[in-house]
Amino acid sequence: MEAIWLYQFRLIVIGDSTVGKSCLIRRFTEGRFAPVSDPTVGVDFFSRLVEIEPGKRIKLQIWDTAGQERFRSITRAYYRNSVGGLLLFDITNRRSFQNVHEWLEETKVHVQPYQIVFVLVGHKCDLDTQRQVTRHEAEKLAAAYGMKYIETSARDAINVEKAFTDLTRDIYELVKRGEITIQEGWEGVKSGFVPNVVHSSEEVVKSERRCLC
Amino acid sequence: MVGPEDAAACSRRNAKLLPAPAQEPADPDRKMIPATGGFGGSVGADRGCPAEAHAGGSEPRYQRPCGRLRLEGPGDQGAGGADSSSDWAAPLEDPLRSCCLAAADADVDADDDSGGSEDSERPTASPAGSVERELAVTPAGRTSGGAEPSLGFPDGHLNSRNTFEVSRRPTTGDHLPPAERPVPSPGMEPGPAGTSARARRGGGFADFFARNLFLKRTKELKSVVHSAPGWKLFGKVPPRENLQKTSKIIQQEYEARTGRTCKPPPQSSRRKNFEFEPLSTTALILEDRPSNLPAKSVEEALRHRQEYDEMVAEAKKREIKEAHKRKRIMKERFKQEESIASAMVIWINEILPNWEVMRSTRRVRELWWQGLPPSVRGKVWSLAVGNELNITPELYEIFLSRAKERWKSFSETSSDNDIEGISVADREASLELIKLDISRTFPSLYIFQKGGPYHDVLHSILGAYTCYRPDVGYVQGMSFIAAVLILNLEEADAFIAFANLLNKPCQLAFFRVDHTMMLKYFATFEVFFEENLSKLFLHFKSYSLTPDIYLIDWIFTLYSKSLPLDLACRVWDVFCRDGEEFLFRTGLGILRLYEDILLQMDFIHIAQFLTKLPEDITSEKLFSCIAAIQMQNSTKKWTQVFASVMKDIKEGDKNCSPALKS
Repeated sequence: MEAIWLYQFRLIVIGDSTVGKSCLIRRFTEGRFAPVSDPTVGVDFFSRLVEIEPGKRIKLQIWDTAGQERFRSITRAYYRNSVGGLLLFDITNRRSFQNVHEWLEETKVHVQPYQIVFVLVGHKCDLDTQRQVTRHEAEKLAAAYGMKYIETSARDAINVEKAFTDLTRDIYELVKRGEITIQEGWEGVKSGFVPNVVHSSEEVVKSERRCLC
Repeated sequence: MVGPEDAAACSRRNAKLLPAPAQEPADPDRKMIPATGGFGGSVGADRGCPAEAHAGGSEPRYQRPCGRLRLEGPGDQGAGGADSSSDWAAPLEDPLRSCCLAAADADVDADDDSGGSEDSERPTASPAGSVERELAVTPAGRTSGGAEPSLGFPDGHLNSRNTFEVSRRPTTGDHLPPAERPVPSPGMEPGPAGTSARARRGGGFADFFARNLFLKRTKELKSVVHSAPGWKLFGKVPPRENLQKTSKIIQQEYEARTGRTCKPPPQSSRRKNFEFEPLSTTALILEDRPSNLPAKSVEEALRHRQEYDEMVAEAKKREIKEAHKRKRIMKERFKQEESIASAMVIWINEILPNWEVMRSTRRVRELWWQGLPPSVRGKVWSLAVGNELNITPELYEIFLSRAKERWKSFSETSSDNDIEGISVADREASLELIKLDISRTFPSLYIFQKGGPYHDVLHSILGAYTCYRPDVGYVQGMSFIAAVLILNLEEADAFIAFANLLNKPCQLAFFRVDHTMMLKYFATFEVFFEENLSKLFLHFKSYSLTPDIYLIDWIFTLYSKSLPLDLACRVWDVFCRDGEEFLFRTGLGILRLYEDILLQMDFIHIAQFLTKLPEDITSEKLFSCIAAIQMQNSTKKWTQVFASVMKDIKEGDKNCSPALKS
């Protein structure tokens, strides 16, 4: 039986091919790292429960997309039903960083009328000696787009948990404040298996109290 | 159980056979080996053992079996007079001997070691009996071990059982007198014992592969395998037996006491089944307690004896049952192989010489459905795909040399791509992407990885294709199609088939990511989905789970990434016969096969399930489900439905949004 969760968030993971999207997600959902994995064609799916506060679980539905340019026209159709996204680049691959703008511009167009909370992820930070993108410029870029920046490594399991949970927490805060709401026909946020399903922000607060006692 | 054929044919499955070092139990006996010295840094006792760090192998799996190898080595040489080894090996000697001896029973044992099914043809020995036999024959092993060259290669035998690396072969050989080296090519060594033993018997690696996909290139493969450093086809978690002497002796003693020295039939083999491992430890309950603990009462001892007997009886029963099952599977396989052999004769002698006349006859179509014999598979695929594009091997060479020029200039200028235009950057990106994707193609097969025998061939075909069709270029997923073709055809023929295959309307639509066309295919698929599996169709609808979620991967790679490779090849067989329609029919067959499970799942579980299909999917089950799918919508066939959907979409698609419905 599935554990009870408060909300389900749909997250999408995007970025150039071979920046390590699937590896990052596998590390997060399966706790393992495969040095070689086959390229994603279309979309792959993962899920995991995240406990953001004691007793408060969020179910993450993670869409792992193909990175090749050619697939973008397919994968961008999936943006609008996502509430959050991890935009990855490879810190050892300058081009993947340069393409971040492009990715963001594209999501902007295709996510409307909804919004996606993005986090910029500099991946493969274990390969620091081959670094082609400094932390400073990545942070600058992230700030310009109002995103957080985090550096991760699937191989060494650095910040993988943090990248996902921080994003989840940020989205949760927005939902709590009512800035993101559950909407019919939108898959980004769904309420979960909680008695007296909560929708509005007020009720969430109530349910919080309930949890505390 | 995975037979060697399956192991070869199934790409992803092989990964599962690779040893998981972490699972190896801490083994005190093994640990003592480095301590005894004399075996130097090359002794990699196990992963995680400090010895490994000095072993010089960047890849732990090269090192891993060494510990074991070393263990076995001296045991073997001991017979030849390596007295010095006897002191440290003393506690291990007997089990080792028995290993050697068991190994010496090459044909009999090898298949057992890998859990082979051939075992079933022999009477089943009781587990206790087989253990006893080992011990009983030990002295014989001691004398025969060194004396008889043919028996004298337990080393290699154990290596193969322990997932040995090709690259390790020379090193291991160093420890053995040259006379004791096995005749067969070392190329077969990486396989599990079952593989190598079978290959040894049946004519080597080639024979083993001939039944699978690698048919055309086995000779090449053999030589490349020999020289290729550090890649591996198959592996297996090494059994943990052979160091449990204490409990075995207890068991033996017990049997001696009770007078139950049931002599095993001589043809029985050592049990290396994991299931029986606990048995050896169970025998410990027959022992008296250590002196610092209160002694067992007679009652308790009796009870323990009874419990032990029950356990043994239970184990026997289980084993007999398993043996029956294995026998049945064996029989089926035998029958299958026979029918493949007879089909091959028909294909070669009757059908292929009269291809155009016979290809659409009912008899041939039926035979075709059964699956093409691997030896004619490539040929039939080539003929069925055709060569509308009139590509010649010479043309392939031209495009290949162009690709090579481009790679050269690309590597010279690759550092500076900001200045260049987007299209150039894109093309270069795809050149680079090919490089990166090649080793990600069937990664568990290892043959496409750098240093693997087919790495360059795959690179060449994909490179030549991007030069031949710059309008299509390289798209992820293509590498899998090319790889499957390479496994069945010669390079130039593989390219010709590849280019022609990708020129089919459906493939062209997908690889160009032509949304309108893709939507048409999805819509047509849904018509037949609803018709055939209405309940599941509604279930999917209720979650707005659209076919693009799972069909994209299936169609792009023609199932070669999603289904076990042997099964994917069977799908390709009929795809070559029936065309694109069969790809969608296969999709419906998969949905039908798992309908009951899928009906219980929600969106994410369905999506996860369908993008990562179970690995135990069998061709019989899948093909019976595919056969049950009707590709007739009332009176319309696939092509007619497709044509009518085309019209609907043109009318309904007002905003021309390329977005797939989701």
